[in-house]
Amino acid sequence: MSNSDKKQTEQRKTDRINRQVVSRTMILMILCGVCAFLGLLAALFNLMVLHHEEYEKKAIRNQTSSIAVRATRGVIYDCNMNILASSYTVQDVYVNPQEIEKAGEDTGLMASRLSEILEVDRDTTLQRILDTDYAYKPIRKKIPQETADKLLEYVNTTGVQGIYMEPSQQRYYPYGSLAAQVLGFVNKDDIGGEGLEAYYETTLEGNSGKVIKTRGNNGTAMLYTYEKYYDASNGNNLVLTIDSTVQYYLEKNLQSAIDRYTIENGGFALVMDVNTGAILGMATLGSFDPNDYLEVYDTAKAEQLEALYQSAIASPKGSEAYTEGLNEYNSKMATARLKQWRNRAVSDGYEPGSTFKLITLASALNENAVTLNDTFYCGGAADFQGRSQTLHCWKHEGHGQQSTAQSLGNSCNIAFANIGLKLGGQKFYDYVNAFGLTESTGVDLPGEGKGYFFSKDLLTGASTASLISASFGQTFKITPLQLVRAVSAIVNGGYLLEPYVVAEVQDSEGNTIEKTEPHILRQVISEQTSATMRTLMEFVVTDGTATAAKTAGYRVGGKTGTSEKIDEYDANGNQVEDKMVSFIGVAPINDPKYAVLVVLDTPSRATGLYIGGGAMAAPTVKDIFTDILPHLGVEPDYGADEISAVNVVVPNVLGMTADETATALKERSLKFRSVGSGETATGQIPAAGASIPGDSEIVVYFGGEAPEETVTVPDFRGMTVSQARDAASYYGLYIQARGTDKISGYIYVTYQGTEPGTEVPRGSTVNVEFTNNSVQD
Amino acid sequence: MAEKTAERLPQTEQKANDRGLLDLPFLLLTVILVSIGVIMMYSASYPRAFQEEGNGMYYFIRQAIFAVAGILVMLGFSRIGYQIWRRFAFTILGAAIVLLILVLIIGRSGGGAKRWIYIGPVSIQPSELAKFGVVVSFSGMIAGLKDKIRTLKYGVLPFVIMLVPIVLLLALEPHLSAIVIICLTAAALLYLGGLPGKWFLMLFAAAAVFIGAYLALRGYASDRITAWLHPEDFAQTKGYQVLQSLYAIGSGGLFGLGFGKSRQKYLYLPEEHNDYIFSIVCEELGFVGAALIIVLFALLIIRGYWIAMHAPDRFGKLVAAGLTTLLALQVALNIGVVSNVLPSTGISLPFFSYGGTALIVQLAEMGIVLNISRSCKNNLL
Repeated sequence: MSNSDKKQTEQRKTDRINRQVVSRTMILMILCGVCAFLGLLAALFNLMVLHHEEYEKKAIRNQTSSIAVRATRGVIYDCNMNILASSYTVQDVYVNPQEIEKAGEDTGLMASRLSEILEVDRDTTLQRILDTDYAYKPIRKKIPQETADKLLEYVNTTGVQGIYMEPSQQRYYPYGSLAAQVLGFVNKDDIGGEGLEAYYETTLEGNSGKVIKTRGNNGTAMLYTYEKYYDASNGNNLVLTIDSTVQYYLEKNLQSAIDRYTIENGGFALVMDVNTGAILGMATLGSFDPNDYLEVYDTAKAEQLEALYQSAIASPKGSEAYTEGLNEYNSKMATARLKQWRNRAVSDGYEPGSTFKLITLASALNENAVTLNDTFYCGGAADFQGRSQTLHCWKHEGHGQQSTAQSLGNSCNIAFANIGLKLGGQKFYDYVNAFGLTESTGVDLPGEGKGYFFSKDLLTGASTASLISASFGQTFKITPLQLVRAVSAIVNGGYLLEPYVVAEVQDSEGNTIEKTEPHILRQVISEQTSATMRTLMEFVVTDGTATAAKTAGYRVGGKTGTSEKIDEYDANGNQVEDKMVSFIGVAPINDPKYAVLVVLDTPSRATGLYIGGGAMAAPTVKDIFTDILPHLGVEPDYGADEISAVNVVVPNVLGMTADETATALKERSLKFRSVGSGETATGQIPAAGASIPGDSEIVVYFGGEAPEETVTVPDFRGMTVSQARDAASYYGLYIQARGTDKISGYIYVTYQGTEPGTEVPRGSTVNVEFTNNSVQD
Repeated sequence: MAEKTAERLPQTEQKANDRGLLDLPFLLLTVILVSIGVIMMYSASYPRAFQEEGNGMYYFIRQAIFAVAGILVMLGFSRIGYQIWRRFAFTILGAAIVLLILVLIIGRSGGGAKRWIYIGPVSIQPSELAKFGVVVSFSGMIAGLKDKIRTLKYGVLPFVIMLVPIVLLLALEPHLSAIVIICLTAAALLYLGGLPGKWFLMLFAAAAVFIGAYLALRGYASDRITAWLHPEDFAQTKGYQVLQSLYAIGSGGLFGLGFGKSRQKYLYLPEEHNDYIFSIVCEELGFVGAALIIVLFALLIIRGYWIAMHAPDRFGKLVAAGLTTLLALQVALNIGVVSNVLPSTGISLPFFSYGGTALIVQLAEMGIVLNISRSCKNNLL
């Protein structure tokens, strides 16, 4: 029984334990078989369904990150489809520090080789190579193909790991500094920094596309791929109105004027088609090369900066002097760069001076406030009602009684004060506005200025001081482009245009997307007034202050100007005596096509040269017209009196009879003097091929050789026209005169192309420049 | 009468062999999962096999052969009376400990840990044997304990003493996931054996201290924790693998990219045919496919516990429950790791991850459960 009890107890115990195992197994089943998996299902649902899109995006980025297609920046062409700016492929070099660490490369050696090949600092390079927090560290951007080849050779021969290149773009300006401020440049981030590159950034840049294409982690192909193309649409091309030939001549002649007249602050010039507003050339000197836009090209300035830098780094590193020195250097460097990048023809206002008299006169004529038959008396000084100061004319003895045309030709301030007063402040103000001188021209260039002009109240008030000053172009500022546009309106029949630089936008295949049509804003003066103004402007060149602008073979009209810098003061607080001399010319004036403005900023007073627009800017414009007009298809038509102003090439007359010689030379508008009595010519001076002024006399030897001798060039400076001609003839030389051709005691040689004392072959031509020292613009 | 015999006599191998049929649901679920695993192996391993072996079918063919062999082994084990494991329990555990020592000496390292012993072309993980050894030896001991399990002397100390050297040896490899699985399985067995709750509290407290110390000592593990919490901050280093896994899983969506169309398997996701094969499953088959596979695993595990409940004796119940728990933990931890629910640790997915030996061992264990199922009674007690 006890045994049975024991058994029963034991059985109950076993049952209880077995029940416990079963019930606990059930609990475990629920925990491990149900709960755990429900939790995991929830986690997966969260990842796969709720956050699907987020992870899909990340996964796609993960699988496709390495493929991106860069858009090629658009090309900039001139009007004849010459490339002014284009982009080519270069390589950016980077390293993968993690991979380098993994591969166990000799980092010191790698840094040395990289610094040697890429011309970068070794320590900086080493630092980047060792930065194993990153898988991407740039070493050098935009290396040319040659350097890339060298790098490839190093990588391939040594099998070194972790150095990579990726293609990038470099902007290239094949003509260097030509039209630099117009084109601007592309900065290191491939974004247009100045000029057209900046203004048309969105047009030129294109859309960096992407080819989203799946690719295995090691570049292996996937069996199931998907592709999505976001087309890299290349940037659009610009076709400019700028003609690189015109631009070249513009810059060449502007530079030679700067050199010849010792211009201290450079100059600017522009050429505009007066009938369309298209800008054919626009130059600001001193310039820069957009291929290396950070360099300072003003050598004196660059030396100053370098000295500043050297003195700054001479101080101990980290010291106050060191930091301050560098700060000063950096700020001056920035100023110097901004200065050379500045497109002064568009951005800067300047005092137009007498060139503005064209606007005053055109307005007055159009309003019939004055007529061609009016006369204006100038006694050298005059007082006006409402103006406290006596107005002095530049000619102290006065111009006497002048016609309207003579008033312009003489650039007489007293006459123009009267013209302004006749027109009246209100009308004057209205015309200045109508000529677009108080508004931006709307040219497609960045940073356009609009100068500043008198308020209406000042011009119409009781005081006439402002109106009088404004009538002859003083005490206000306009931009060069505003002036050229207004003068274009004066000669083209009165139509004010919107100037433009981009003629056409093309897609990367060269199909035209957009074409700029000339845009006439309004007619400011009548055709009649315009015609009258053309005559008056030609008079200024033929008989006025701008005779130096006479261009052989062409009819030129224009107006000179000399501006003061009324808002600039020297260190002592006195107004500077610096001047800006200018000339705006239009040719052919009988059928106006092109307007050229040249402004020279601050001719040096130390040279003793006569400072004035007629003396300096007018001959420069003449040179520009001489160079560009034939290129632009405007054929010269030489009048009889102009032959001497044109050089002709001496033909070969050897072996010819006297008659034949005469015929041959006549074709070239040359005369000859014969020496000897032989049948045929045996020698000539100058030799065939020499270039001498038309209408000159050459010496032809009949029998006997031409003497081969050299002569010493005399000093022509200070000689009047007739003195210079006599001297030339005496020495057996020819002179090619530029500048004014008027024979007058005030006109003498101020410049000669060949230095006195130079030995030249007999019969050579010497360029001389005559300046009229009696007129002021 | 049969019941009486069962009570009086200890069950013998002979008797067990004579008993009924294999549990068909358990068998079918196992075979289905192995088949899906082999098919997924084909897809997941193709790019890697092509890249590294020059033959896209390389891993697939091997895994398929092992799967067939493994199913044969499973059927074979299902015919071996499970009582035999009680007899050899300590021999197996002893052998496992010897191998665990050996692996530290001659083992080959993978990812900074020594876990594998290579014998010719065959590689074995001693930790797999240790898991099995712990299940059978603990089951045998607990089955004989009955009420004594409530005492410190019989219910706690012997087991702790057995576990300590194993855990230490695994820690030296190091092999964190094996430690976790062995400890949790051991705890499950003690729980089933009737160990009172207070001891669990103490054991878990001890385990927590141990884990804390382990994490503090091993820098790489705590790095692993930060990488777990913020994988994107370590996108190129510690977080790379799990991030790539998340990309794969997350891009799967509801229905997946389609079988064979994974993109992450193209050498982006490391171990894509191994520990991380489930990520590729998710990417290709989507949430629907992944959930189906998880449900199949859950059903298999529930069926395993069902067999444990219906096993005729305590040892059979404990072995079936222990092996099922091993399977459940392995599956849950793997999926938890690939979906970044748990910090990353090297743990494979049963029936799916590449590896012949592991597959055969797992299927052999399923064979043992099947053998137990043959003795199952219809009522629970």
